[in-house]
Formats: sequence, structure tokens, C-alpha cells
Amino acid sequence: MSAHHHKEDFLFKYVFSTDHKMISKQFLVTGFLMGFLGLVMSTLFRLQLGWPGESFEVIDMFMGSWAEDGVMSPDKYLALVTMHGTIMVFFLLTAGLSGTFSNLLIPLQIGARDMASGFLNMLSYWFFFLSSVIMLISLFVEGGAASAGWTIYPPLSALPQAIPGSGAGMTLWLVAMAIFIVSSLLGSLNYIVTIFNLRTVGMTMTRMPLTIWAFLFTAIIGVLSFPVLLSCALLLIFDRSFGTSFYLSDIYIGGQVLEHSGGSPILFEHLFWFLGHPEVYIVLLPALGITSEIISTMTRKPIFGYRAMIGSMMAIGFLSFIVWGHHMFLTGMNPFLGSVFTFTTLLIAIPSAVKVFNYLTTLWKGNIRFTPATLFSIGLVSTFITGGVTGLVLGDSALDINVHDTYFVVGHFHIVMGLSAIFGMFAGVYHWFPKLFGRMMNNKLGNVHFWLTIICAYGVFFPMHFLGFAGVPRRYYTNSEFPMFDNMIDINEFISMFAILAFFAQLIFFFNFVYSAFRGPRAPQNPWKGNTLEWTAPVEHFHGNWYGEIPHVYRWPYDYSKVDANGDYVSGEDYIPQTVPLGDNEKDGGH
Amino acid sequence: MTIIVVVAIILLVITGSQLLKIAELRAKSKGELIYEVTEKEGKNLGLMLFAGFFVFMGFFAWQMWKWYGLRLPVSASVHGESIDFLSDLTYFIITPVFILTHAILLWFCYKYAYSSKRKAVFFSHSNKLELIWTTVPSIALTVLILIGLNTWNNTMAPVPEETEHVLLEVTSQQFTWTARYAGEDKKLGRSHVTLIEGVNATGIDKEDENSNDDKLVKGEFHLPVGVPVQFVFRSLDVIHSAYMPHFRAQMNCVPGLKTQFNFVPKITTKEMKKITDNEDFEYILLCNKICGAAHYNMQMNIIVESQEDYDKWLAEQKTFGE
Amino acid sequence: MSMENINYKEEVRRKTSKPLLWIGIVSIIMFFSGLTSAVVVSQGGGSFLKIDLPFAFTISTLIIIASSAAFHFGLISVKKGNLAIAKISVLVTLVLGLSFILTQFLGWVALYENEVYAVGSQSTQESSYLYLLTALHIAHLLGGLISLIVVLVKTIKERYSVDNMLGMQVSITYWHFLGGLWIYLFFFLRYIIA
Ligand code: HEM
Ligand SMILES: [Cu+2]
Ligand SMILES: [Cu+2]
Repeated sequence: MSAHHHKEDFLFKYVFSTDHKMISKQFLVTGFLMGFLGLVMSTLFRLQLGWPGESFEVIDMFMGSWAEDGVMSPDKYLALVTMHGTIMVFFLLTAGLSGTFSNLLIPLQIGARDMASGFLNMLSYWFFFLSSVIMLISLFVEGGAASAGWTIYPPLSALPQAIPGSGAGMTLWLVAMAIFIVSSLLGSLNYIVTIFNLRTVGMTMTRMPLTIWAFLFTAIIGVLSFPVLLSCALLLIFDRSFGTSFYLSDIYIGGQVLEHSGGSPILFEHLFWFLGHPEVYIVLLPALGITSEIISTMTRKPIFGYRAMIGSMMAIGFLSFIVWGHHMFLTGMNPFLGSVFTFTTLLIAIPSAVKVFNYLTTLWKGNIRFTPATLFSIGLVSTFITGGVTGLVLGDSALDINVHDTYFVVGHFHIVMGLSAIFGMFAGVYHWFPKLFGRMMNNKLGNVHFWLTIICAYGVFFPMHFLGFAGVPRRYYTNSEFPMFDNMIDINEFISMFAILAFFAQLIFFFNFVYSAFRGPRAPQNPWKGNTLEWTAPVEHFHGNWYGEIPHVYRWPYDYSKVDANGDYVSGEDYIPQTVPLGDNEKDGGH
Repeated sequence: MTIIVVVAIILLVITGSQLLKIAELRAKSKGELIYEVTEKEGKNLGLMLFAGFFVFMGFFAWQMWKWYGLRLPVSASVHGESIDFLSDLTYFIITPVFILTHAILLWFCYKYAYSSKRKAVFFSHSNKLELIWTTVPSIALTVLILIGLNTWNNTMAPVPEETEHVLLEVTSQQFTWTARYAGEDKKLGRSHVTLIEGVNATGIDKEDENSNDDKLVKGEFHLPVGVPVQFVFRSLDVIHSAYMPHFRAQMNCVPGLKTQFNFVPKITTKEMKKITDNEDFEYILLCNKICGAAHYNMQMNIIVESQEDYDKWLAEQKTFGE
Repeated sequence: MSMENINYKEEVRRKTSKPLLWIGIVSIIMFFSGLTSAVVVSQGGGSFLKIDLPFAFTISTLIIIASSAAFHFGLISVKKGNLAIAKISVLVTLVLGLSFILTQFLGWVALYENEVYAVGSQSTQESSYLYLLTALHIAHLLGGLISLIVVLVKTIKERYSVDNMLGMQVSITYWHFLGGLWIYLFFFLRYIIA
């Protein structure tokens, strides 16, 4: 083999790979890198919030001219918050989470050699990569990064006169997001078609693991909502760069009346939240799917209410399209419309409650093995409850009047969406690490990581509700301008200390991750004694997943601890892989 | 400084790697798999999770004790009382749910931690159970939805024209507020951004005869206690949000659009100073929608006082015509 | 690469090409629904000025219908094994597709002459929407044209036959969709903006 050939091999194996497993790893690593930056940003602005106006050497080190004497300026604070939100929601928890696990698990768990189109899949990753690069470049342009919040409401986001970040920074933000949307659409297309068309023999829809169901609904939601965000962004691009007036009207700024007239910023909000709310579930559903799978495997019990779990995900997915108005109760919308949105929003609590109770029942009388993945799954159930119940407050238009855009909201969405999704992601990484890298992660470090993370997570986000009770608005650079918030300094300090600790806790994870990927103990083929198909594939990676024929499937994936009439395990062990044919008199599914 | 940090990090990583390697080798020599959770470890983790329940609830109680008192004082508006009632009712429902589900979750973790002596129970569905936990939340939600919608509709209904009320326009702009009273004729003059000029900073139409007796104020505005206030909100540049937390009132100010809110103030500033036991207490209007660099400092004081004091104060203010 | 692998790849292609296209079409539909509902919401104020829709747009509507028919005829010819006619039909489709773009362009020229501008201070929301929607349709049509060219080359090389015409079928589905999309936009523009 010539050196030249070798080089080409490398390029196509690691860079322009069309193998879903490699693409999955690419998504994971890129997502984590972006997430790490988002984390650094949050730690930096937490320093400002905890000790407003104090000078910090780290801030000086990281932010340079953005922070004179180690104190960040108000507009750069907003730039950081905006980038933090954008990166966390889209880059870490949409592309990073969904991209990693949909890619890894869909072909492996349904028994396919690869995605429907490896080429589109590769494009999906490279668009994501390009988008990440552009988003990062936007930090370094004149005027700084986009600063209008991750929701980029115009006119603020449309007018550089209103805030410096709405200049070149916002342009790049929009370009990056447009590319991101294309990436996400290409991914979703592939996921849906693969699931519908490439299942192995015997893998009926109702024998699919809940992970696959979750990825399917996520992809469907993505295909239906991301294009609308694209149209939303497109109109904003026109307003910003070509002087159209889709969103702008009657504006006087910087001593001048602008020529825009006839547009409406409310239109933007409608289009934005038509994606924005489903986006929450794009982030959350994969995490729920992952934990369903892990909890069942680790309790050595079938997931309780398989069909109800699917039904509730379907209901959540459907409802997520008709609740967007709950972000707009106070935009002057018709009160009747507000009532409708309150109604639909509170309805989502029902399928969510069903999911929680089903998780609890799955744990009941189980035989739980506490790996780090289990711990994070339990953590997810906890955060899903804690964050979910406060959703009832925010979804109620009457109550929203006084907590809208306060720290109560920040606490709520970080817990229910941020923490739940990131816990699901951690759980997934610990659990499928052997599939990803052929090695095992270290349990002890994993446990330490879990305990520190959950303590810090609640330490950071629980107290925020109390800030909300006191009426502290979000996206404030400091609360020191209001005497009524003087008492809050304690809470803010408390939160910031936990945020700093949380940052260091994640370093443990990154260390464990990198170390284990290269030097961890070699993984056996089926370390957790799981039923699903990915554990029948060899540990080593090659394009095609299985040597020889793709295994056939004969049963649903949750035959854990199945016993016969005498109370003995049917298979002699507490699990029966999906590839084992049904015995005589044995019924499939949860009967 | 930077060099020391870098060296320290490198050392830490190397030591960490070595420790992991050693642990692995030790496990290997004992014939164990390092990634397998032993029964004892599992039990310990289950116990820690269960203990976590008490720690978590203790943390919750500690915060309530320490920070709940910092919440906003009693509602200073009439509709705010029904919002507070609904809020209390909601917490009354969700707090037990929050505590109970956590108790169950973490108790199960302890109770059912792995034991080689036990078999997990193959229990995969039960229509009855699933029905129960679909219906129970539905009933609770129905109650919340019904009361919620009622409160919402009452709050949002505008003040009827014929009711005696104060008509007040609040205009937002980076990063100040301007309030405009309708004046004697109880009508606000027309306004538009194209009319902004010199001192006429919010673009009021001089030609409109309703404008002349309008009164513009900045810095603070006054309200008579017990009289409904009909607010109209405008914005000159970007979206702002007029948030008056003590009155449980908030509405976005959107350029190109007029939005509304109304409430009846029922506690004067003086009384509130007593209630909160704080001599410096002031009602406040603050901006609650990201609007630019100084978003964090966009405020106006509100003073609620008796009708006489209010009339006296208003009489001192200049009309637009002057 | 083993024989089995090639077969598998072929099977995957056969099973997934059309579904991939269909889901792609769904997302394009959502994209245009987003935009057209934006028009409806914007119009909610009732202040929409009416614009005279140039006659060129009517012609282009006829052209795109004709092109769909021609393409369909080509497909039938391939099915019947009549490749010579298929070649001509696909060529005609391509020519009609290009003339569609040309007539759209003429439509814009007519609009411009009538002082209806896309952007800038003299543009209105409705005029901007008008240009934007038509331009975005053309942007999607470009993809269709590229696939049409590929299909044309393959027809000329006689690559298609009764049991090997997946590429053509995919291309034609997309082409029909573009035609349908334009007809929707045409009536939408006619009754909402014009
Ligand atoms: C240790 C981790 C984190 C900390 C300390 C943190 C802290 C914060 C704080 C304090 C804010 C509000 C700033 C303000 O309103 O002025 C914020 C905003 C936000 N965070 Fe985080 N966060 C963390 C992780 C996450 C994660 C995992 C997500 C993923 C969902 C996330 C998503 C967001 C979003 C969407 C915003 C809103 C940005 C905006 O207002 O435009 N954060 N974060
Ligand atoms: Cu939402
Ligand atoms: Cu403001």
C-alpha cells in the first residue's frame, strides 16, 4: 500500500467518513467542544452576576479587550449570554445529542448497515461543523457577537444602532443558523427514512426500542419546525441587509426615524416560537428515549408501559406544535388566544406525568445496577419532575404575568430542558461508550462526576426560583441598580459558587472521556447484558456493522427477567436478546 | 501565572492517568473487572441516593427559610390578589407532587439496589395503573385551567369606558420611560414617531386638540389609590416590557403597536412602607425585555397615594400645551 | 467490496430514494407554509396594498404545467421502451423549465416597470413578499433543473429501462412538486397580494 493511498484512507475514514459510527463520534466531539465553550461562558458571566463589578483575572484572560480591567461591559455580558444560550440549545443539545445518538443507535438498533444515505449524513455533519466555525468566528468581529438573546427578537437584533452585537455578529449568527438548519434537516431526513425503511427482518415498529421511537419523533418534529425557523431567519436577513420591513415599523432610534414601516415584530415571535417550542422537545425527547432504555436495562426489568411511553411521546410531539403562544402571553395578543394556549400548554403536563410515573414503576421491584449511566438517568427523572412542576406555573397565562422573563423562567428551563437533556446525554455517553470507542469509562470517576454535577446543578438552578419570586428579571447585567434587589446578592453569590464548582466537575468528565477513549480497559461485546441489537455487533468498527448476515429479530427489546411458570428465567439468564427466537407458548411483548 | 497553571494542569492529568492505570491493574490482578459495579458498591449508591432525598428536601427547606421571605410583598393591586391565590393553589398542588415523587424515586433506588439473591419482577404494563395516572393529573389540571382562565380573562378585560379611571400612556425607549396622563378631556392626543422633534421626544401630535392638556412626566408617576388605571404602552425603538412586579402587572411595549393593561392599585406607597417595614420602599416600573446594553437599568418610580395628594401632584405638572 | 454488499447498497437505494425525497418535500412545504402564513399574519392589519400581477406569471404557470406533462410523457415512453421519444420529451421539459425561469424574470421586469420594488425604501411589505416568494421558488427549481440535466444525460446515454428508472421517477416527483408549489403560490399571490 502506497503512502498516498494510506493518506486517502485516513481522510475517508476519519474526516469525510460516511460511516454512521464515525459521524456519530464527530458529532459527539464537536458538540462537546462547543458545549465546553458554552460552559466557560456561563462560568464567566456567573462571576459578574455573583460579584458585580469586581475585577477578575480570568475574565481579563479570556475576554481581553471585552473586559476592561477584568470587568466585562454590559453589552459584552449580553453577548456572552446570547452565545451561551445559542450554543447550549442548538450546538450541544440539538446537534450534539441528537446527532450523536441518532447516528450511533438508529442503524445499530434496528439492524441496518448504515443510514439511508451515508453521503447526506456526512454532509449533515460538515454543515454542522461549518456552522460551528462561523458561530465561533462571530465572537471576533467588530461590535462583538450577537447580543439580543438566543431568541434574537427584532428590532433589537435588526438594528446595529440598538446594540453593537446586532452588526456583523448578528449577520454571522444568522448565517451560521441557516447552515445549522440545513444540517439538522439533512440529519432528520436520514433518520426518518432509515427507521421506516431499513429495519431488519422481524424488527416491526412495535419491537423497536424506545430510543428509536424517541429519535423518530425528534426527527419528525425537526423536519416540521426547522424550515419555519429558516423562513423566519430569512425575513430577518432581508430586513437587516436589504431594507425590507417584514418585522420593522415606526422606529425612532439614534435621533432618526427609520424608513421601515408596516412590519411587525410580533410576526417574528410567532415564526420563531413555532420552532422554538418544538425545539425544547427536540432537545428533550432523545434524552428521554436514552434514559428509558438505560433504566430498563439497568433495573433488569421491562420498561413499564411501552405503548404508553410511545403514546405519550407522540402526544408531546403533537402538542408541542400548538403551544408556542405561551411565550407570547404578554405581547398584547388577544386574551382569548392566550386562553387557548394556556389550555394546550397545561395539557402537555399529562403525557409528561405519565412518563414520570412509568419510570417510577419501572424501578419498582427492579434489581438496579448503579452504573454512572443509571445515576444520570435517575438524575434526569429528578430534574424532569422538578422542572416539570414549575411548568404548570409558567404555562398558566395568569401566573405568567408576574414571572415572565424573570429568573424563575431561567431556573425552570435550565432544570427541565438543560439539565434533563444534558443528564440524558451524559447517561448515553457512559452507557454506549463501549459501542463508541470499544473501551470502558471509569466508574469511580463517573460516580464522582455524577454527584458533583447533580449537587451543583440544583445548587445553581434551584435558588433561581427565589430570585424569580422577588421579581428579578433575566438578562440583567447586574441587579445593583435597584435597591429592591439588594438582598439578592447572597443568592447570586451562592449560585455563582456552585456554578464554578460545576465547571470543575465537568473537567473530571472530560478527563475520564479522553483517557478512556484511548487507554480505558477494552470493552466486551455486551457489557451491560442488554437485549438490543447493537450489542450483537462486534466491538471493532467497520463499515457495515455486522460480519455476515444482519441478525433477525424475534421479540421486543425488553425481555429482562422474564420467568416461566416455575419462576425460573426463561433463558436461564435475566435477559433475552432480541435475536433469540420465541420459545413454544412464549408470547412476544409485555404479556 | 499562566505557566504555573498550565504546568499544574499537566501534572494533574498525568497523575490522574497513572492512578487510573494502577486501579485497573489492581482490579485485574484480583480477577475483577474494574467497570463492574459490585453488590456492595451498588447498595452504597442506593443508600446515598436515598440519603440524597433528605439532603435535597433539607436544602429545599433551608432555602424556603432563608429566601422565601425575600419574595415580593402582598399584591398592591386588586387583580393581583386573585393571581396570588392561584399561585398559592398551584404551589399547594405541585409541592407535594414534587416531594412525593422524589421520595418514591429515591426510596426505590435504595430498596431495589442490585442483589444477586433477588429477581426483578417482569411487570410490563397495567391498564388500571396507567389509567389512574392519566386521570388524576387531568382532574388536577382541569381545576387549575378553569381557575387560571377565569383569572386571566378578568385581568385582561379593559376598563369600561364609562367607569371613572385614569388613562395613562407609558412610552418606552432605550433606556427610559415616559408617562403621559390624558388630562382634563380624558383623551390622549395622537402620537407617532415621525413627529418626534426637539423637546417633543415621544412624538405627540401638536395639531390634535386632545394633545394640549396631556401631561408628560419622567422619573416617577403617581396613581390614586382605589381608582382603575388603564395603561396604554408604546415603544419608540425596540421591544421593552413594562413590569410592575408589586402590582402583578406586566405588558410588552412593541414598536408600531399599542398594547394595554389595567389594574386597580389598592395599597398606597406609605402603607406599603409600613407593611414591608422598609422606609425606603418604592413601587417600581422596570424593563423586563432585553433591549440593549443598559437594559439592566431602565426604571421609573411609581407612587400610589390618596386621591387628594394625587390631584395636588397632577395639578403641579405642566401640560403638553405649555 | 463483496457482491452481497453491492446488492445491499442497491437495495438501500431502491428502498430509500423516494422516501428521502418525500420527507425533503415535507420540509420544503413547511418552509413555504411558514412564509405564506407570514404573509397572512402581516396582512392581518388590513393595510395591504394590492399589486397588479403581471401577465407573464400566468404564462409561466401554463409553461410549468406543460413541462410537467412533457416529463410525464417521457416517463411513459421509457416504460414503453420508446427511448427516442423519451429523449425528446426530457429535452422539451428542460427547455420549458428554462423558459419558466425566463418568464418569471419577465414578470419581475414588468413589476419593476410598474415601480413595484423588491427592497429599498420604496418597497412595501407586499412587494417584498412577492419577489421573495417567487425567487425562493426559483431557488428550489434550480435543484430540479440540475436533476433534470442529469436525467437528460442518462436518457441520452440510454441508461433507463422499464426496470431501471428510479432516478427518473425521483426527479419527476420533485418536478411535479415544484409545479404544484408554483400553482399554489400563483393563486396565493393572486388572491392575497394581488
Ligand atoms: C453550569 C451550567 C450553566 C450555567 C451556570 C448557566 C447559567 C445561565 C444563566 C445564569 C443564564 C441567564 C443569564 C441572564 O438571563 O442574564 C443562562 C441563560 C441561558 N442558558 Fe444557561 N447555564 C448553564 C447551562 C446551560 C445548559 C445546559 C443549557 C441548555 C439548555 C443552557 C441554556 C441557556 C439558555 C437558552 C439561556 C438563555 C439565554 C438568553 O437569555 O438568551 N444553559 N444560563
Ligand atoms: Cu414553549
Ligand atoms: Cu428596555
